[in-house]
Amino acid sequence: MSADADVDLRVELAGIPLRNPVLTASGTFGYGTEFAPFLDLRRIGGFVAKSLTLEPRRGNPPPRIAEAPSGMLNAISLENVGVDAFVREKLPALPDGVVVIASIFETEIDRYAEVAKRLSGVGRVAGLELNASCPHVKSGGIEFGQNPAVLASLVRAVRRATTSPLLVKLSPNVTDIREMARVCEGEGADGLSLINSVQALEVDVERRRPVLSNILGGLSGPAIRPIALRMVWQARSAVKLPICGMGGIASAEDAIKFLLCGATAVQVGTQNYLEPAAAGAVVDGIRAYCARHGVRRVGELVGALETKRP
Amino acid sequence: MTQPALPIRTLAEVVSLSAEGASNYRLTLRVDGWPGFEPGQFAMISPGPQGAVPRSDPLLPRPMAVYRERRENGAAEIEILFKRHGRGTALLTGCEPGDRVALVGPLGRGFALPSGRALLVAGGTGIASVYELAARLHARTRGSARVLLGARSAADLMGASDFSALGVPLEIATEDGSLGTRGLVTELLEAALARDAEAHVFACGPTRMMQRCAEIAEARGATCSASLENPMACGFGVCLGCAAPLREGGFALVCRDGPVFDARAVAWEGLP
Repeated sequence: MSADADVDLRVELAGIPLRNPVLTASGTFGYGTEFAPFLDLRRIGGFVAKSLTLEPRRGNPPPRIAEAPSGMLNAISLENVGVDAFVREKLPALPDGVVVIASIFETEIDRYAEVAKRLSGVGRVAGLELNASCPHVKSGGIEFGQNPAVLASLVRAVRRATTSPLLVKLSPNVTDIREMARVCEGEGADGLSLINSVQALEVDVERRRPVLSNILGGLSGPAIRPIALRMVWQARSAVKLPICGMGGIASAEDAIKFLLCGATAVQVGTQNYLEPAAAGAVVDGIRAYCARHGVRRVGELVGALETKRP
Repeated sequence: MTQPALPIRTLAEVVSLSAEGASNYRLTLRVDGWPGFEPGQFAMISPGPQGAVPRSDPLLPRPMAVYRERRENGAAEIEILFKRHGRGTALLTGCEPGDRVALVGPLGRGFALPSGRALLVAGGTGIASVYELAARLHARTRGSARVLLGARSAADLMGASDFSALGVPLEIATEDGSLGTRGLVTELLEAALARDAEAHVFACGPTRMMQRCAEIAEARGATCSASLENPMACGFGVCLGCAAPLREGGFALVCRDGPVFDARAVAWEGLP
């Protein structure tokens, strides 16, 4: 056997034991089954399902996506089957042994809490990710993640509604991510997910119009990776909460950067679109990196970024 | 219709790349494990060859129709016909034999073969979607499928010689009159349906061309299937980027529910 086999990739994220630190990001992985032809979901740490609302939700009219340098904009507007259909139809379709984190989204605080309540005690749901940061739903999303007082009310209400492990996914569209991280810690969140997509605009000069029907969208992909690394590193210095890092991860090397900056686990997002087995390759690459560097437990890498001048 | 084969994700090997006409290209790929495809299905193709380090700019793969396939001793080669259009397709024109391109496919639900006669109307890169359909219909009943192809000029027309070689009844319209009838392919459809309103219409091409085909078919009481070409990031139902508005309200995903739709189900005015 190679040294690879000796590497312990297990981590615990916000009370959720994971076989390895590689998850896939909400909104880029459907309800999991779409990836069955490409990837054994038991190879990865788990996945965060498409954000769920109380009722099924229709998205925006086209165009919903636009390409940008090393990235893409999307303004889907959280189209989803609704929380009840997810529990009834989507969860049972998954093989045993797949760790599922449910992402929740709503436009009002009490509705957020209700979605959380309906997912509490559902055996297949290992934890919740509170999407406090969708950057393109006018009636919700951005306000929750951008205003510390509103964010506090939201986290408090959802915390009361569930005993499940609770991650809060933060918006990068803020002046100081540390302030938002402290709010989440103060209100009893179990961990942070960051970052969501970066609010952006793309323009069609021939038509002199925005490319997206929604005008604004969320930028994701490698273009935002250095921003995400900065925010993970800053949040890590501000709170003790474990962090799940994401933003433009395309390879194991990218994922390791997030671990070094202080993420306990990572999520692969946009890369799933172009390379549906990407998360599996990231797991293999992290294992190989650890073996090459004599790292016995992947947890040793978390926060191991050396910032002192030599 | 039989259940479509499960898609694969692989690095396909470039066998050849040749220019055809002004800005059209024929890419032949060797695809290990290729499960075969149904007419009208597509594949997501990386924007250019994949080097040692994955390319991030441009980032997204491009949906392209599978034109046809050739199988020998378990190995499969597929052909993709594409037009150099933007940065991604320009990078693809730099492929050399032996290069690798990332491929996910076959994807989507293709054309359901009709029992009776068929009119295949295609324009621009939409022509690439209907070759296999024409071949299968012609193989089943010679002469049951008539093909109408349109392009701006003779130099823009893709695949015409392949359709000629099949021996299907073929009509061509070019906007500048450099080949076939001067005018639009939709005018050929009007004339063809006037002669035979029983035929089922298959349309693939620019959105407004397909919308016009749908109107012409509806006016004649003919049924029409259209294969949509919306931009998409994944091709297998997760990015939700390729939503097409429906007449009954709501959206369908072009990649998962299509790309072929009953033209009457599509809210054409809502498509960009």
